[in-house]
Amino acid sequence: MARYCDGDASAFRELYAAVAPRLYGYLVKMARHRALADDLLQQTFLKVHRARAAYVRGADPVPWLYAIAHRTFIDEARKSQRAIVKVGDGDDLPEISADLGGQPPASRDEPADPERVRAALDALAQLPAAQREAVVLTKLDGKSVAEAAEIAGTTVGAMKVRAHRGYEALRKLLRGRAPSRQEAG
Amino acid sequence: MKPDPIDELAAQSPPAPPPLARELEAELGSLAPVATRRPMRQLVMLVALSLAYGAGVLAVVTTRRDAGELSIGWVVGAGLGWLLGFVIPCHLALVPRAGSVMPRWRLAAIAAVVTAIAFVLLGLAIHPSGPSSEHYGAEHFVRGHTCLEIGLATALVPIVLGTMFLRGALPVGARWIAAALGAGGGSLGGLVLHLHCHVTDPLHTGLVHGGVVIVAALLAAAMVPRAADVR
Repeated sequence: MARYCDGDASAFRELYAAVAPRLYGYLVKMARHRALADDLLQQTFLKVHRARAAYVRGADPVPWLYAIAHRTFIDEARKSQRAIVKVGDGDDLPEISADLGGQPPASRDEPADPERVRAALDALAQLPAAQREAVVLTKLDGKSVAEAAEIAGTTVGAMKVRAHRGYEALRKLLRGRAPSRQEAG
Repeated sequence: MKPDPIDELAAQSPPAPPPLARELEAELGSLAPVATRRPMRQLVMLVALSLAYGAGVLAVVTTRRDAGELSIGWVVGAGLGWLLGFVIPCHLALVPRAGSVMPRWRLAAIAAVVTAIAFVLLGLAIHPSGPSSEHYGAEHFVRGHTCLEIGLATALVPIVLGTMFLRGALPVGARWIAAALGAGGGSLGGLVLHLHCHVTDPLHTGLVHGGVVIVAALLAAAMVPRAADVR
């Protein structure tokens, strides 16, 4: 980030390759629509670029980048009221995964059951945005409650409650779903 | 045993992000170095410039005529109180914890609320007077608007400077950070009023001098987030 602020464009590309997959994953799960997540990711990095002078040297930029993505998502959701989009319109699920270097992995050791993953995403989409975000950040992205609270601009206690309620609601929704073909077989 | 779908979802690798937008590519083509934020330096600048401006305002409106009649301990103690009410919220609004880019909005929020309430209560409770002091009484309470105007005019400089320094740094908690800047600026306004105004009845010192902190915090919370946002 410091090299990028010093005018090194290749440092920005390195930053993008390192952080964009995680931010994109977060935005896809929040927006549940790839085209919208694409747009939000571009808006996020454009804002980062325009606000790069706000960076403090030596600081970890990742929570700040996530917070900008969070703000961008909230603003868009308020503007268009399309944060929760009906699942099943074809382009909602990311089919190609990438590692943190931005490259799709050559192979995966144990491929997950796509139906179960889709069901989990569908259930996630039914949660209120605040609970969805708490679950995405703490359970799926592996952030600590304190980090998630910093990103979402809330207190640690509130984040803990949201994550707990969201996780419980998610489990309830998943218990209520029909078993996948792989599970049934 | 069936794998947990949530664990499976968590184990998924992140999706491949789209390529950079053309607009961003174009901006990267002419990338220039920028001076990054230095919070402590900004705080020192904000405090120094705001104090200089406050001193200028005081020079224009003149110091209180009953200053010599009041206990020096009270004048100095209250002055220090207003000064701390200015510096602490501004510090919390501008300076993040080590290793972080974003300021500590929760502490800033607490500082804003405590400062606002404390100065109103202190103004209502402690208001020594001398023979040259003036007492409006409740019937002339409306005359306090001049003090409100002087206080808010003094608060303007720290709020504007803080907004400039925090541009792009507040994706979350912006209203509370802004409120802390406003409360800090309002406290500087209160310090100027403390050294200028010889009206000593509790309603005036509490609700007008202390009220400057509240009004400045509310105005800043309403206006600063949009001004500090980067689109």
